[in-house]
Amino acid sequence: MAEPRIGVYICHCGSNIAGTVDVADVAKFAAGLEGVAVSRDYRFMCSDPGQEMIKKDIKELRLNRVVVAACSPTMHEPTYRRVLKNAGLNPYFFEMANIREHCSWVTEDKAKATEKAKALVAAAVSRVAYNQPLETRQVPVNHSTLVVGGGIAGIQAALKIADSGNKVYLVEKSGSIGGHMAQLDKTFPTLDCSACILTPKMTLAGSHENIQLLTYSEVEEVSGYIGNFKVKIRKKARYVDLNKCTGCGNCTELCPTSVPDEFEEGLAKRKAIYKPFAQAVPNKVLIDAKSCLHIKGLASGKDLCRLCQKGNPKKGIVGCETGAIDFNQKDEVIEVEVGAIIVTTGYQLFDPSVVKQYGYGRLDNVLTSMEFERIVNSAGPTGGHIKLKDGKEPESIGIIHCVGSRDEKYHEYCSRVCCMYSMKFAHLIKEHTSAEVYEFYIDIRSFGKGYEEFYNRVLEEGTVFLRGKPAEVTNIAEKPEEKGKLIVQFEDTLIGRQRRIPVDMVVLSCGVEPSHDAAQIARMFNISRSADGFFLEKHPKLDPVATMTDGIFIAGCCQSPKDIPDTVAQASAAAAEALSMISRGTVEIEGATAVINEKLCTGCQFCKEVCPYSAISFDDKKKVCRVNDALCKGCGACVGGCPSDAISLNHYTNEQILAQMDGALT
Amino acid sequence: MKSFLDEVKATPGGEHVLACIQCGTCTGSCPMAQYMEFPPRKIIAMIRAGLREEVLSSSSMWHCLSCYSCTARCPRGVKPTEIAHALESLANKHGFKVGGTKTPMFYRSFVDSINGRGRVFELGMMIKYYLLTNPLAGLKIWKVGLQLFTHKRIPLKGARIKETGDLSRILRKYKEIGGSD
Repeated sequence: MAEPRIGVYICHCGSNIAGTVDVADVAKFAAGLEGVAVSRDYRFMCSDPGQEMIKKDIKELRLNRVVVAACSPTMHEPTYRRVLKNAGLNPYFFEMANIREHCSWVTEDKAKATEKAKALVAAAVSRVAYNQPLETRQVPVNHSTLVVGGGIAGIQAALKIADSGNKVYLVEKSGSIGGHMAQLDKTFPTLDCSACILTPKMTLAGSHENIQLLTYSEVEEVSGYIGNFKVKIRKKARYVDLNKCTGCGNCTELCPTSVPDEFEEGLAKRKAIYKPFAQAVPNKVLIDAKSCLHIKGLASGKDLCRLCQKGNPKKGIVGCETGAIDFNQKDEVIEVEVGAIIVTTGYQLFDPSVVKQYGYGRLDNVLTSMEFERIVNSAGPTGGHIKLKDGKEPESIGIIHCVGSRDEKYHEYCSRVCCMYSMKFAHLIKEHTSAEVYEFYIDIRSFGKGYEEFYNRVLEEGTVFLRGKPAEVTNIAEKPEEKGKLIVQFEDTLIGRQRRIPVDMVVLSCGVEPSHDAAQIARMFNISRSADGFFLEKHPKLDPVATMTDGIFIAGCCQSPKDIPDTVAQASAAAAEALSMISRGTVEIEGATAVINEKLCTGCQFCKEVCPYSAISFDDKKKVCRVNDALCKGCGACVGGCPSDAISLNHYTNEQILAQMDGALT
Repeated sequence: MKSFLDEVKATPGGEHVLACIQCGTCTGSCPMAQYMEFPPRKIIAMIRAGLREEVLSSSSMWHCLSCYSCTARCPRGVKPTEIAHALESLANKHGFKVGGTKTPMFYRSFVDSINGRGRVFELGMMIKYYLLTNPLAGLKIWKVGLQLFTHKRIPLKGARIKETGDLSRILRKYKEIGGSD
């Protein structure tokens, strides 16, 4: 190996690094390190002139190793590897010292930061001398995509990909696709009927030749890597043969068991055998095993009910005519192979019963926003009539914003949709009734296209906007006019006085929160989560749908609260990411793979057991293990697991890591 | 010179004044809001506007009953109850004369009574309070006083804690670190 001739480049990153680290001093220090041929500092190493500087030095000063001390390798390692490649050097002769995230951003004292930057640079210089040339590999991309979650985000992403002629598996855990959007009445600010704009897309997704719809199914296991994922999906028993069921609904009429209807937010009942909602896709029934008398009876060996299946022959009532009901159906686990995964698992509504002072669950006629969506919906439990519990029409309604949002006790973030849907409610109330409407808000956030105009419209319709977060909702009257009413006590902050407004109904504009199983989903797909619990994108501005796991993308409210337009835009972006992989046909895989020293291998096969990518096989003749380069992702599990120290990981050899530590410590 | 905002922030209890989003939950929750010249939310806005004289000479914070409803409900962890007490402390420290409330005099009588003995001496404290405020009003409640006395609820001699020396040291330390007396 030729003597190392190392070029060291210290980036100022504007004032990001240079503001805290004495970059000139670090460059001077690096110049004195062993093997360093040149050391420079520059304002922006990642800029064109910065990159050109490295290229020029490689040629003119015959550099054979390069160290850049700048930001995180996640950000710019690919950039500089490309520079080396273009200058004719193997890209693995490069090392990055992170003196921004690991140093200048987290150290206030300039002297200490400079000292730390020197240690990090020395570590990188010491290591790079031992770096070996490696080749990246191209692996083919499977052209199928998995979309997890059948709300508007999942439907949109699935349709975009399917329309391009590529296969999509659309997995939905409930009995129908549609998600929360199917529950909404109108959509702000244009007041399109939610079902009217969603149903065509649902039907299309249900009948598309390239979409395999897997409703009432959940992903169980994900293995593999970008371009080549293997996914196990559990199709839960719905006790109804989808091929035979015509969705006629005869069975639901016969079923004697009623339970609260999830789709109607518990405001109406459904049967144990049911269709999730009128426009469900697939438009077929399923049996809720927890409430079905027959299935519950089976556990104690009894053969009960089965009215849906058999009818009542004595009375001449027939059961399912197509024989679609099958109580012997079992869960089925299928395995599919896909190149990309798009996670669109959505959100859940904040449960306001924990905000005791608003009385949800304690006081009648205090509703969540989703309950109100159903009440105001003409297909809902009241047929679209806004009614109090006693059946009367309310004369006044109070809408309380920011319930569960913008509050450090619940969620610090703004849920982004509540202001707008609250104002939509105000409009709908005025349309349906003659009630007075009060909006209790902290700040009105109407930032989207046509949103501020909608705010103006609602103002002019006579809705009363009161600035102040209510302190409490009570039914204890202090004055005669408060008798029999719900009283909202708050400070009218624009007047600076405490006020009490008596109303007949209170709607709590609940925020959006990560679904209860978000942690489990994140673990399964190896997605990080931000502090608020939502899935974390790779870069908040420039890589908003990618995740830290290559080939896995996110869209919709699982990433952060957002409205329908933003969700659809993000879902289309995720589809574009998947399609770009498919159309490229191959993906580049890191050159760092594990190698087994066959002389040291005892053939215990422990490495084979711990390998998450099934990249290790056992040679029966030689009694040693071997790594399949094409499958190895360089995770290092086998290296740590090998009891004989027979495995090393390219680009992370003991020699390299020890040299790096030596450099940092001297 | 230090701004009023910095002064409040540096007073124990006043640290979180910048986190306020002026939502009014505190005023809405306050059982005394209607008696206050400036309700809690407004007081915070006035602190941030630097209205030192108006805030420290107002009676508003002296009306606080320490029910902590505002603090329990505040979405930003501002702790308005503690801000009220911080303002009382500042007003006292800088000798502001407060109209419209007798609370400062009550606090004064209480603290003086505690001072040196570690227990409150009710009779002494009440006499001092009425002398400071309105001696005639004190005479008006002679009947209640007499009843309490006959039921042995008003001892003529105040109780003391054992280690009054320790208490003095604590109070000395408190003043050293900038507490008002």
